[in-house]
Amino acid sequence: MNDQNNNVLEFKDVWKIYQMGDEKINALAGVNLNIRDGSFTSIMGPSGSGKSTLLHVGGILDMPTRGNLLLNGKDTSTLSGKEQATFRRNEIGFVFQRFNLMPQLSALENVLLPMIKPDLEKAKELLDKMGLEGKHNKRPSQLSGGEQQRVSIARALINNPSLILADEPTGELDTKNAEVIMGILQDLNKKEGVTIIIVTHNPLAAEFTDEIIEMRDGNII
Amino acid sequence: MGINSLSFKNLRRRKLRSILTMLGVVIGVTALVVLVGLTTGMTNYMKESTTNMMGDVMIMNSTGGGTIMTQSGSSFLSPEAVDEIKNMPQLYNIKQEVQFLTEFNGTSIYVIGTSDWSQVDINGSTGVVVSTTLADMGYNIGNKITIEGQEFTVTGTFSEGAMGVVVLDSDKALPMNDNKSTSLTANTRGDPEVIKDEVENTVEGITVSTKSDMSKQIDDMMSGLTLFIGGIASIALLVGVISIINIMLVNVTERTREIGVLKAIGFTSREVLGSILLEAALIGFIGGLIGLIVAAILLQLAIMIFSSQIGDIQLAQMLPVWLIAGVLGGATGLSVLAGLYPAWRASRLNVVEALRNE
Ligand SMILES: Nc1ncnc2c1ncn2[C@@H]1O[C@H](COP(=O)(O)OP(=O)(O)OP(=O)(O)O)[C@@H](O)[C@H]1O
Ligand SMILES: [Mg+2]
Repeated sequence: MNDQNNNVLEFKDVWKIYQMGDEKINALAGVNLNIRDGSFTSIMGPSGSGKSTLLHVGGILDMPTRGNLLLNGKDTSTLSGKEQATFRRNEIGFVFQRFNLMPQLSALENVLLPMIKPDLEKAKELLDKMGLEGKHNKRPSQLSGGEQQRVSIARALINNPSLILADEPTGELDTKNAEVIMGILQDLNKKEGVTIIIVTHNPLAAEFTDEIIEMRDGNII
Repeated sequence: MGINSLSFKNLRRRKLRSILTMLGVVIGVTALVVLVGLTTGMTNYMKESTTNMMGDVMIMNSTGGGTIMTQSGSSFLSPEAVDEIKNMPQLYNIKQEVQFLTEFNGTSIYVIGTSDWSQVDINGSTGVVVSTTLADMGYNIGNKITIEGQEFTVTGTFSEGAMGVVVLDSDKALPMNDNKSTSLTANTRGDPEVIKDEVENTVEGITVSTKSDMSKQIDDMMSGLTLFIGGIASIALLVGVISIINIMLVNVTERTREIGVLKAIGFTSREVLGSILLEAALIGFIGGLIGLIVAAILLQLAIMIFSSQIGDIQLAQMLPVWLIAGVLGGATGLSVLAGLYPAWRASRLNVVEALRNE
């Protein structure tokens, strides 16, 4: 019981199977994995090994073909579409390789977007914390890659999620910016206890995390 | 920062595309409003001018068809009926009008006997007024014209289609038609609706129309025309709206990845659907509003250009509230309908696939 309470995320024999014509692709092949509250994990592995799929299922963007996913101890397989959306809004913050900011919105508006009741002060504070003072009203196209990724981290944090999921957050950044981003994530984890999972190909980025999980052919090795 | 303000911003993203899409709606709405506005203005103008002219009631022979449009030489009030009517104390200010066809130089012309010259837009003075067709034939002001064997001196002219028309005072024209009137107009002492019944019960073979009867007749006559013209112009609007389907599909496809992101950060499929519908609604509403403004300007221009022909008509008569509300509501509603399929497509997008979309 205690053990369960400590896990933000639990994969229980999770399969994700894609049918490609006659062929079946096991993107996830019976994954069992616990992510403890307050942990900082990186997932590594060759291309096509199922890292992104694991993250999508963990963030209930995707439903497993088989098996169960528990988020904060709650089985997610029975959630309605609306409940899934509410979970994603409140419990999970996504950070993407390509930042995925809304191009028509300013940095500040992008951060406010997931909030139901916009809290301008909080959004500004977060952006400042990300070192974006004076850039609140810039559009994504007016920001560097590193800056855009910091905006997207602020967006991921705005609803105080229990979990941050980042798919190759440094994939589009140079080493210097990659280190800045990883430093920010590390700070969030160490100082504020945010649980973070990142997928990365970059060993330098993985070094910032406390635990490295290797994947191959849809499973953890 | 709701998802709905995103719809406004999305409109501004591809300005040219949004403007061109709106243009379709603008053209449709303009065509619709100008055409329907003109017929509505005409209807109102006809109502006002007939009811202005007629006093409280208008009395005609009941076999004459009974509408103001069909009053012709075919059916007249007998002098006996007219006398009876004139003797009714409920009626006063009785005016006799007559209209009949007569032979003139081998063709037929209309003779109109009137006691209310204000209805004729005269160039010259009252008395013996001929249509420009006759004036061009040599019967201009100062010249002599012989009608039914009587010689008159033309005092004025007025423009009136190709038909030859001579307008005389009622008391000059009536004897030429054996003293038979086409219609009488009168004011009433008391409620016209009550007196209408009294007159109809007292005098046989006549029909009494009140102002509200007249308005209703004109409405009945014009509503079919309005509907027909409105229907034709609606096609233009429909074409504009259909292009919204196309553009919104392009927008949704283009924004596949963004829609994936919206869902990833916690928006429901329904909210995504709503935001696309809102965007379509905005195109329709703004396009409708611009179309209305353009139409109002065109109608005002028409009023200014044609004021000499159609007399005193106001923009408000051509743009009644129902037309404004109907067109705005219609353009918005149809646009929402047009947005349904693209919005449904957007809401159904698989998040993971949308995010993978390059
Ligand atoms: N929609 C899909 N249809 C069919 N196969 C899919 C689909 N999505 C993913 N796959 C397959 O599932 C497997 C795992 O994909 P995934 O994206 O999780 O890999 P990854 O480890 O993130 O790779 P990369 O490092 O290249 O991002 C791959 O073989 C991929 O081709
Ligand atoms: Mg991947």
